[in-house]
This record gives sequence, structure tokens and C-alpha cells, in this order.
Amino acid sequence: MKTVAVIFGGRSTEHDVSIITAIASIIKPLELTKQYKVEAVYIAKDGSWYWDDRLKEIELYQSGEIEDLMRRAPKVHLLFDNGLTLVKSSQFAGRKMYRKIDVVFPAMHGTHGEDGELMGLLEMANVPYVGCGVAASAVAMDKVLSRMTARGAGIRVPVWLALKSHLIGPSSVKKLSNELKYPLFVKPAHLGSSIGITKVDQEKELMNALEVAAHYDDVVIVEEAVPNLIEVTLPIMGNEEPIPAKLEQPLTKPEDFFDFDTKYLRGGKKGKSGSKAGAQGYSQIPAKLPKDLYKKAEETALNVYKALGCSGIARVDLLIDSKTKKVYFNEVNPLPGGLYAHNWRLAGVSNVDLVSRLIHYAEQRWLARQKIITSFNTSYLKQF
Amino acid sequence: MLRNYLSIYRPDFPKVVVYMLQATEYQIGPYLRWLWRTSDFSKVMHRKTLVMTKPAKLLLITLYIGILTQLSLATVLGIWGISEPVPGLPLVALILFFCAPVVWSHLIVLPLILGRMFIIRPSHAVQVRKSHKSFKEHKALKIAVAGSYGKTTLKEMLLTVLSEGKKVAATPANLNVPISHARFAKKLSGDEDVLILEYGEGAPGDIAKFAKVTKPDIGIITGLAPAHLDKYKTLQRAGEDIFSLAQYLNPSDVYVNSESEAAQPFVKKSFNTYDSKNAAGWAIGEIKVSLDGTSFEMKKGDKTLKAKSQLLGRHQVGPLGVVAALADRLGLGVQQIEAGISKIEPFEHRMQPRKTAGAWILDDTYNGNIDGMKAGLRLLQELPAKRKVYITPGLVDQGSESAKIHQELGEAIASAKPHVVVLMKHSVTPNIQKGLEANGYKGRLIIEDDPLDFYNNLDKFIAAGDLVMMQNDWPDQYE
Repeated sequence: MKTVAVIFGGRSTEHDVSIITAIASIIKPLELTKQYKVEAVYIAKDGSWYWDDRLKEIELYQSGEIEDLMRRAPKVHLLFDNGLTLVKSSQFAGRKMYRKIDVVFPAMHGTHGEDGELMGLLEMANVPYVGCGVAASAVAMDKVLSRMTARGAGIRVPVWLALKSHLIGPSSVKKLSNELKYPLFVKPAHLGSSIGITKVDQEKELMNALEVAAHYDDVVIVEEAVPNLIEVTLPIMGNEEPIPAKLEQPLTKPEDFFDFDTKYLRGGKKGKSGSKAGAQGYSQIPAKLPKDLYKKAEETALNVYKALGCSGIARVDLLIDSKTKKVYFNEVNPLPGGLYAHNWRLAGVSNVDLVSRLIHYAEQRWLARQKIITSFNTSYLKQF
Repeated sequence: MLRNYLSIYRPDFPKVVVYMLQATEYQIGPYLRWLWRTSDFSKVMHRKTLVMTKPAKLLLITLYIGILTQLSLATVLGIWGISEPVPGLPLVALILFFCAPVVWSHLIVLPLILGRMFIIRPSHAVQVRKSHKSFKEHKALKIAVAGSYGKTTLKEMLLTVLSEGKKVAATPANLNVPISHARFAKKLSGDEDVLILEYGEGAPGDIAKFAKVTKPDIGIITGLAPAHLDKYKTLQRAGEDIFSLAQYLNPSDVYVNSESEAAQPFVKKSFNTYDSKNAAGWAIGEIKVSLDGTSFEMKKGDKTLKAKSQLLGRHQVGPLGVVAALADRLGLGVQQIEAGISKIEPFEHRMQPRKTAGAWILDDTYNGNIDGMKAGLRLLQELPAKRKVYITPGLVDQGSESAKIHQELGEAIASAKPHVVVLMKHSVTPNIQKGLEANGYKGRLIIEDDPLDFYNNLDKFIAAGDLVMMQNDWPDQYE
């Protein structure tokens, strides 16, 4: 039986979302396959790593008992032994517990996890891991780089400008107002889950929106709103031959947009607290689009996935102008919340099959990389 | 091992004992067998918990008082034995102290025995005697439904269809013992045209007793399969009991399911039979089965009946056919019969379809006999789906035939060719596996040792395009 380490939590604003993704959509389905031994590795908000079976229980976090566990439990050490081994001190006679990991399943959202940092660590350890690699994760999580990459591949993106947070001031507000057409969207350049995003209808609101975004990031992106907007998203999985799930359309009104509360706390519709909670109750799947437009959007998303070099799994968000039928790339989420299991289920892939396939893709990519020569013998040292 | 032993000293042990009694319907034999077999009492209430009914509360209080009294007595004796000192008394006190849960989990059956002997049985006997008179004097046509399986379904079918043109009363739900019939008789208004009575068999002589009390005019025998073999011992004896109903009727008033192989040795030529081709002289054809329901045509003489039912499966055609034939015999028009059949809704946990996230789930968890399981598997094979998943724990109460029946079940599963088979791990699992192997099953087999966890996470196993069939449930009291 292979051992899979699921790493979640982390120093990110999406820490709590990551816990839900890990426990509900990854750990439980992996255990249900009865093919993997699952090790839960939790990264606390202060960056400390813990490894314990109790970390698989959601009640631990809901009740606050996690604080108690973190006080008592030993922290985890990572051993790079041409692979990855988890090490922690046992509570008996100072002995150490070791667990060799066959595959890592990152369940991190946002900074220090989804943005390629964790993937770099796993590449160093030379262990197979699920999801996008270092470069794809870093580019995907950077709205500036991802747009530039997409545009380079001939994919349409909205009109946008980026600025460093220290440049925010009345003059930059003026400049943005002159160069872009309202309404605008102001976003932190590196955050997911719609955190820190504000819709701005007039110049007097822009300064405040820029400050909000700058609170979360040192780079802020300002873009023109796409008119006659239909917002859609497409989960995709696979390596060389990616497979799309179903195009999903959020059921928000055009004047609303998907912010964090809408996605994760209010169950979808802004202002309605009675609807189904979680990231599953707010969308139309498949999106009701004309056939040709659906196909066009699907192709655009697959092109983005390939252009950014994604592998394993990702979710591509698109903006559609329903009148002109123009499809714009919005952003890529290299680890969609809850793996978008609800969408995959409707596409004919159960949650259990989804995690199994993702493990397979991770191993497939790792095996391919092992064939690449990364070092060779030279006489350089002798000549020194 | 030690943990298991210590589980009898848990504060909730009395609750577990009462739960075991409740789950076994306060039957002393099954309760004691379960009690003696259990090693870890902390795991007994895993799937379900005690429902605080009045009898449960009374038994729980009795248990707590009994155990506490014994513990107090042991403590007093212990202190006395040490302080006086009385040789041997501390040891007696110690034994008395530690055996309290064991003693009281056995003593608790005493009030049940006494209550049953001196209160319940005499009271029930009086009520049943009174019902004898009610049934005898009632002018309605009385239809008795007997058989090892499918009684409640057939009774509900009859009730729905006959109600289109008659005033009908039927015994409620699956209540089919003499006292429930007596209570049913009490509630009758007297102006009913038809009474439908479900006869529950349990031990030799049961059906004859029912027939003597209720005086049926028509009898329907839904089938014969291994059930209650703890009392009947053999299928032959169960068949003799069920078919004793015919002795109280004219042969032309007896209707028997000819799709039940085991029932055939008991069928006389003069009986009416029904199956998916013929029902009491009506020819059946044009059967179409889908996830939306089942449709078929019936013809007799110049009469043609086009039935469209919400019920799923070819095996429903025979029972629906006999219901239609009986309705025709009782004077209902073709349109009334068709309307009645279309109104029959799938019964809870009996091939009940449900759609979740694009997947179809067929809940057949009340199916507890091999014929019914095979019928369900034929339906699974017949219906189209991207992926078919079959889930079962097996069958309980199959007596000495259990190994053979479960191997048969395994073979039937293999023949239906589901892509995935999930077996809830129980004592019969190896027999089902043997059957699967014998018929060369090539799909994915999952042996699940935590059924509750599996059912709670079923949504994680399924996806759009799946067809999932769940057959039978495995009560906690069985191994």
C-alpha cells in the first residue's frame, strides 16, 4: 500500500479553505479507495509542520482543540533521502518515528503553498506530487505573469494595468482613471479565492479599493470589467492530454461578483445566507451557453492550461461578453477549492476516482522527469 | 482483549443492553445469543442508537437500579468483611462487585418473560378473539396476502388499484401479526367493500391461524424463499405453512406467483398463477423497463389494458398483472385499473430510485430474500448506465442453506456484470466471493469493513452516469 502525505493549512489567507479541501475532498476519498495509507501533514498559521492521525478530523479545528494538539505534539522534520520521509519524535523514550512518503498531495491554497513554494521543496526532495509544477504554479498564481503568458499564446485577456503597492496614491488613481474605462476590478496580484477584490464603478471609490488590495499584496492589478458578462470556470485535469470537466457558471447577478464570502460562506448568492453552504451550491453545471460558445470557452480554457504548463489539476476562470461572444482569460487556480469535486462528479468522475487519477498523474509526471539527465561527471574539479 | 473485557464496565453498558433487546424486538433467544457473542460492547451501538420508548425507559431504569443495588451490596459486604473480619467475605464482595453487569444483563430478561407470560399474551389473546368475531361478521371481500417476500408491496399495489373503484382497507405498513390484525379490525368502519390482510409467517401453523381468524375469500401467495428458517428449519416446512392458506379457499380463489421456483412444488393445477407473461388468464406483453418505470400490455378476450407504472423492474410485472386481473374480476374498468397502476409509487427502500449528482441510486435495502435479490440484479443488468455499482451485505436468517444461497447470490452478481461490487464484510462474505469467482467476475471488488462509513460517504464514490444498486441491510444483531 502506497503512502500519500496530504499537506494542508499553511501561512495563507486561505488556510481554513485548505483544511476543508484536504479533509473532505482528499483525505477521506483517498482512504475510501483502500489503496493508500494517508498521512495528514498540517502547516499551522505560524508555519510549523505537524503530522498526526488526529489532524484528519474536522472537529479538531472546529472545536479549537487544534491549539491544544499543537502545544503537545512534536513538530515534523523532513528528511530528503532521494525521496521524502516524515520524521517526528515519538512520545516514548525519545525514539523517532519515520514515514517514507510515496506521493505528496498538496492541498494548499494561496501563498506559500499553491504558488510554487511547496512544489519547489517537493522537487528538491524528488518525490512525486499532485498538481501543477513549480513554474506553472508560480505563473498561475501571479495574475500579471499569467495574463502575459496567456496573451503571448494568443489568448484574449481583459484590458488591465498593474502597479506596485508603494506607488498607490492620488496620481496613480488619476492615471488609472485616464487609461481605463469604468467599471473596474481591483485585485491583489497573487491571491486566490477572490480575497481582496473590489468592483469599482467610479473614480472616488478607486483609492479605497487599491488600499484594500494592497493590504493583501505588494502588487495590485486593475482591469476593465467585461461588459455583458458571463463568468464561467472550467476544472481540467491531466498532464499532456488534459481532460475538461463541465463548464460552470456562477449564479450571481451581473452587478455582483464572486468574492470570498460568496464562494465559501454564503453558499453562493450574495446576501442570501439560507442557501447551501460551501463551494457547491452556487453554480449552474453545465453552464447554459450556446453550443458554439460553450465549445469556444472550453477550447480557450484548455489552451490556457497548456500555455501555462499546468499538469495534474487546475481550474481556469473565463469571462465572456455574451453580446460579442468574446471569451477572455481571467485567472488560473492551480488547486481548486475542494478539487471542484462537485463539478467532476457531474462530469462522470467520482471524488474517489478523481483523487486516484490525480495520484496517477503525479507518478506519471515524476517518472517522465526521472528520464531527464540532471547531472553528469566532469573533470572540472580536477582542473580547479 | 482487555479493552473488550472492560467494555462491560462502561457507564453506558445498560444502554447497550437495552438497545440489544430493542433491536432484537425483545426476543430473548436472539438477544442472549447476541449478548454471548459480543466481545466489545463499545462497538454495539455503532450504526444505530437506543430509541427511548416507554419499555426501553423502564428496562433501563430497572437495569441501573439493579446494578447499583448489587454494587452497593458488594461494597457494604466488602467493608464488613474487612472490618470484622469475616474470612472469605471480601472475596465474595469482590466477585459480587465485578459480576454485576454480567448478572443484570441476564436478569433483565426476567421481567420480559413474566410480562409476556402474565400480561401481554393474555391481553393479546382477548383482542385476537374479539377480532375473530369482527372479521366473521364483516361483509367485505377479504383478500389474504401471504408469502416469504413481496407481501407488503403486493398489498399496497392492491390497495391503490382497488381504491379506484371500491372502498378498501388494508393492514397498515408491514404489520402482519395477529395482534396487528386485531387492532386493524377495531378500526374498521364496517362499510368497506374489500379488506386486504397481510399474513406474516414466522413459525409452523401461523398461516392457518390467520386464516381461521380472518376467513379470507381470496388468497395471493407471493413466493417462497428461505426466511425464518430458525423456526421452520426447512424450506419445505415453510412452504407447507404458507400454502396451508389454500386449504381455507376454493382453488380458483388462490393466486400464486409462478416466478417463484421454490413455490412450484406446492402449486396445484386448479390454482391461478401469475408471472410476467400471464396473470390469471390475461396475456402480458410489450414490457418496457427504464429508470422512469415499467410499462406493459395485458390482453384477455376483447379487453386490452395498457399499464404504465412508476415501479422499476420486470419482476414488478407479474404482481401488477395479478392486481389488474383481480381488479377486473371485482368489476373495475380498464381505465380505473390503468389509473390505479400509474398511481402506485415506489415503496420506501424497495427498489426506490433516487437521483444524486447525476447518478441513479436504486435503494433496495428492504430486500431480504434470494429471489428478490436476483430480480434486482436482473434489473441492474437490463438498465443502461455508464458504470454500474452493486452494494450488498448479503442476507440474514438463511439457516443451514446460508453458504449455498450466498454462493448463488455471488454467481447472480457476476452474471449481472456490475463494474464495481461492494460487499459489506460479514460472516457470509466469503461465500459471496466464492460465487463471484465461480462465475468469473472480472470487475472491481471492494470489501468494506465499515458499512456506516461507506454509506455516509457514498456520494464520494459516485458520479454522473452511475447506476448504484443497494440491496438488503444487515442488522447489528447478526454476525
